[in-house]
Amino acid sequence: MSAVLHAHPESGPTLGVDAGKRRRVLSEAGQRGRWWRFAAILIITGIVLVPIMVTILLAFTPGPNSTATGLTFENLGNVFSKTLAATWLKNSLITTLSTVVVSVAVAAPAGYVLSRGRSKAVSGYSLLLFVMQSLPIITSVVPLFILFAGMGLVDNLLGLTIIYVGSTMTVATWMMAAYFDSIPISLEEASWIDGCSVFGSFTKVVLRNSLPGVLSTAIFAFLLAWNDYLVAIVFLRSNEIFTLAMGVQSFFQQNATDWTSVMALAVVMMLPPVIVFATLNKYFSVGGIGGSLAGR
Amino acid sequence: MSSTTTQSGLSRARRGLAPGGSGSAPGKRRSKLSAQATKTFFWLLLPSVVLLVLIHGYPLIYAAVQATHDGDLLQTGNFVGAQNFATVLSSPAFWKAAQFTLWFTIVGVFGSWLVGLGLALLLRTRIPAGNTFKVLLLLPWVVPVVVSSTAWNWLVATPDSLVPSLFRNLGLGTPLFLADPTLASVTVMVFKVWVSFPFMMMMISAALASVDSTVYEAASMDGASRWQQFSQITLPLIARSNYISWILMTIFCVNDFPTIYLLTGGGPVNATTSLVVLAYRTVFQDFATGPGVAIAFLMTMTLVVISVILYRQIRKSSVE
Repeated sequence: MSAVLHAHPESGPTLGVDAGKRRRVLSEAGQRGRWWRFAAILIITGIVLVPIMVTILLAFTPGPNSTATGLTFENLGNVFSKTLAATWLKNSLITTLSTVVVSVAVAAPAGYVLSRGRSKAVSGYSLLLFVMQSLPIITSVVPLFILFAGMGLVDNLLGLTIIYVGSTMTVATWMMAAYFDSIPISLEEASWIDGCSVFGSFTKVVLRNSLPGVLSTAIFAFLLAWNDYLVAIVFLRSNEIFTLAMGVQSFFQQNATDWTSVMALAVVMMLPPVIVFATLNKYFSVGGIGGSLAGR
Repeated sequence: MSSTTTQSGLSRARRGLAPGGSGSAPGKRRSKLSAQATKTFFWLLLPSVVLLVLIHGYPLIYAAVQATHDGDLLQTGNFVGAQNFATVLSSPAFWKAAQFTLWFTIVGVFGSWLVGLGLALLLRTRIPAGNTFKVLLLLPWVVPVVVSSTAWNWLVATPDSLVPSLFRNLGLGTPLFLADPTLASVTVMVFKVWVSFPFMMMMISAALASVDSTVYEAASMDGASRWQQFSQITLPLIARSNYISWILMTIFCVNDFPTIYLLTGGGPVNATTSLVVLAYRTVFQDFATGPGVAIAFLMTMTLVVISVILYRQIRKSSVE
């Protein structure tokens, strides 16, 4: 049952049911209902995706002052040439990528200790991380705002990154630990006999075999930092420091009638997570991600 | 799924797989490695501990200070004891927000569970292009809330938006989805279910995948109906996983800020103000730091209880 908590990529598709099993479950009646079910899922998916399709469609529809007909890239061009969209995109990329790198760099070693350590302190720390991830970000945001104001970290991408790393590291550590559990200790023992240090076996044996775990942790950190709105709205003040989340929102409020431009920017914002998700889908570990979005 | 991949972080920490700690290692090497390991472990854990103290520990303690003092964002005032809590607990706005948060959470958790369960069961059967649908149905959860709330706004906000127009053409009147307090609450909850059901679908799909199909073959040979198979076999087998996802989703719903704030801003007439939105507005719009942090603190205490319950559940399920 706890497989749910961290279904590993090697042990089958994370989201899917084993094809062989499914085939056996299938009765003849089920076979007949296949196309009926296809129609049902097609309609449901169509309805569910209406907001997303509308966003994409409007983004490529000629704007109110446009002479273009049919679908056009004009809105995208305008958004980049006439607004700070490029700066916002750059800010989002810098913040998100730094968050991903630092989160993994902090969570991987800590996750290793959680996975291999066996003292009371280690299991206590594991509980502490778990409780911390479920707390509302709003509680820490106010004190951090005051602390960061004194350090010049308000309205600053570094300040934003520090908070993102702080809020991803709890779950990221759990995800890494769960992955390291799947790497047999005997592999490390062999390296110790060859004279490897504990740190050496961590980097050379464990980490080297953990690409799927690292990737799923990285995806999680990416989504959290890229999609965040609460921390951004508290900590970012000036237009040129905005991330895309703030940009889209400010743009939406100021240009409420200019839907085509708003949607063009919205498409720019939703593209990276969709691409990341579509290409790295199989590395998603369900349970780890689960705990992760508590702050959303 | 092999046994090594099914332990959770907790059982691992408890069972202890310290280098040299496994029984096979000779005693001498074990103690040598353990000493070295302890030192290495300390350095490996240090960055994580520093961050936890800075980003979680310090703010929590400082929040406790602020909740018991008057003053504003820039200056902590005098110690006022539990007065902020008393102010908060005696204000109707707090109870209204608490009530909304409760309904929002109940609808969010069970709404997304029901939709997720239905779709997970449907997708479990063989459907042409089933995997494509699986990925497409996850999109509401992957797309940033800033983006999807904008799209929802376009769909429902004004009387001339797409959905109200559709209602009008069907002769159902022109509902003001975001202007009417009741309808706005419903809209926010439907939006939340739309955002969250993919998560439930993933959790349930993963749980269903681990159910052994021979159980169903045996049951259908014994003449069990579809419904009996579902209620007597499927549901009990995924019960623990459901329970865990309910609690997780409860935490997500209580903590949720953007889905509410971006769609309605908490209005109209505070109808969709949840506790997080109220805390945010109290601190950053009314500049009443003490009461705002007090609200956040009350939420924190509730969530600590919920997450400890969850921790126990996960520990239980990893022991099984």
